[in-house]
Amino acid sequence: MSTDNFTKVADENELKPGEGKGIEINGIEIALFNVDSDYYAVSNRCSHQQAPLCKVGEKKINGEKCWTEQRGSVDDENIAITCPWHLWEWGLQSGEHEVTGQRIGSFDVKVEDGDILVNL
Amino acid sequence: MAGDSMAPEDEVPPQAYEDRIIDLDFHLTPPEDEILKYVDDDRLYQKLTTEFGIAPVKGKWDAAYAIKDGNEGLYTQGRAETAEDVREAAEMFAIDEPIVNPGINNMPSQHHPLLKTAVAKACNDYLLDQVVPEDFYCLMMLPQWDPEDAVEEIERVGDEDGIVGVYGWFGPFTMFGDEKYDLVFEALTDNNLPLILHGSLSFWPQQTPVGDNMITWTEVLGFDWPIHAMLTTVNMIMTGVFDKFPDLDVVMQEGGHWWLPFVRYRMNEFYEMHPEDVQITPRKFEMEERYLNRRPSEYLRDNIYVCTQPMALPDRTNETESLLDLSMAEDTFLYSSDWPHQTLDPATWAYTNRAFDENLKNSILHENAEELLGI
Repeated sequence: MSTDNFTKVADENELKPGEGKGIEINGIEIALFNVDSDYYAVSNRCSHQQAPLCKVGEKKINGEKCWTEQRGSVDDENIAITCPWHLWEWGLQSGEHEVTGQRIGSFDVKVEDGDILVNL
Repeated sequence: MAGDSMAPEDEVPPQAYEDRIIDLDFHLTPPEDEILKYVDDDRLYQKLTTEFGIAPVKGKWDAAYAIKDGNEGLYTQGRAETAEDVREAAEMFAIDEPIVNPGINNMPSQHHPLLKTAVAKACNDYLLDQVVPEDFYCLMMLPQWDPEDAVEEIERVGDEDGIVGVYGWFGPFTMFGDEKYDLVFEALTDNNLPLILHGSLSFWPQQTPVGDNMITWTEVLGFDWPIHAMLTTVNMIMTGVFDKFPDLDVVMQEGGHWWLPFVRYRMNEFYEMHPEDVQITPRKFEMEERYLNRRPSEYLRDNIYVCTQPMALPDRTNETESLLDLSMAEDTFLYSSDWPHQTLDPATWAYTNRAFDENLKNSILHENAEELLGI
């Protein structure tokens, strides 16, 4: 992969597994996820109603009293996330929502010298 | 995205924070032990503290089978148990005035009238004691299963500062067109309070072949609720509720909204074809009136409001514009988030969809609610 279009978006180990982070690069919103210590990046906005996908994994208000503690989720096995608003499931490699066939952008990610870089 | 650009963490466009947004369906879930503190009869308190809890559910069902991750559909965003929780959630979605309701949407189907009236009163006292002082507007819970109890409760707390409406339910029980509710409507209009009806379905068994034959959440919340909201609306109109109580305002919460054009034209057509049975509805018979005072669709504009969650917009802007116009949205729509349920509906569409011009946006986000609730 050429390094020309890769931009640093985080430090390695900045995100715990199951967490997301939102970054804007040149007006493009990206959501970066740690999926079982591998990193994936997609467009930050769910195409359904523009929810911020980087909020996946955020603790719910009184989450410890709910069936699940987090808003949305990261699925290690299927390398996917579910949106924090309505739980639309997005493949992190394909950027696809299987039910509707809609796609959001998915970006190449690499880790180099402790930096996490995304290819725009 | 229209207007100022969003930061990645933003839940809604920044412009939403510049507008007043009133949310007509914000669910508070106080812990049961907190509500029970306000039950003042020892005998009722004892019965409400069995293992059943205050509102036992006969058959639990929500979106959980239909959404990912084993999530409980009622709490995909969390639970607001205190005023502070309400404030935190409202701030995330630029909601200036969450109109807080105490939920417990299976109250009508509880079995013992004294127990459920006690719960309703305790909820109201909890709101007045714990939520209203934190500068939130609230809806009082209506013990609608006993009209006299309902009137007594309206008289008791309806005039309190911070109570801006009365929270009841539409569902598979006695329709609100029944004349037994007239004393409730009189109390509502005397106190200048709107009746705000939330859905109370999806507790199994419904004990009807149709109700128990539905097995997907899309059927239930998508359509069983709106069908009951429509029927409740038409029943109230056709039995003359708004002829006897022309100042009564009624809101349908979580019963859909795009059925307004369907009801508007079909109700007019059917009524004008065969209007002669209106005079033998008990209310109109007592009023000695043969027909409705207005065309049926006029009551939709003048007396009925609908909450908008989820907005469920068409893909094309021109279709959205048509639907909004036919739905008389400028007069009938009230923004609602439905926080924390799975049908959460932040007001993003008001800022990103060209079908919502400035006038319409303001009507839906706050002006209609301001007029309805007097806030």
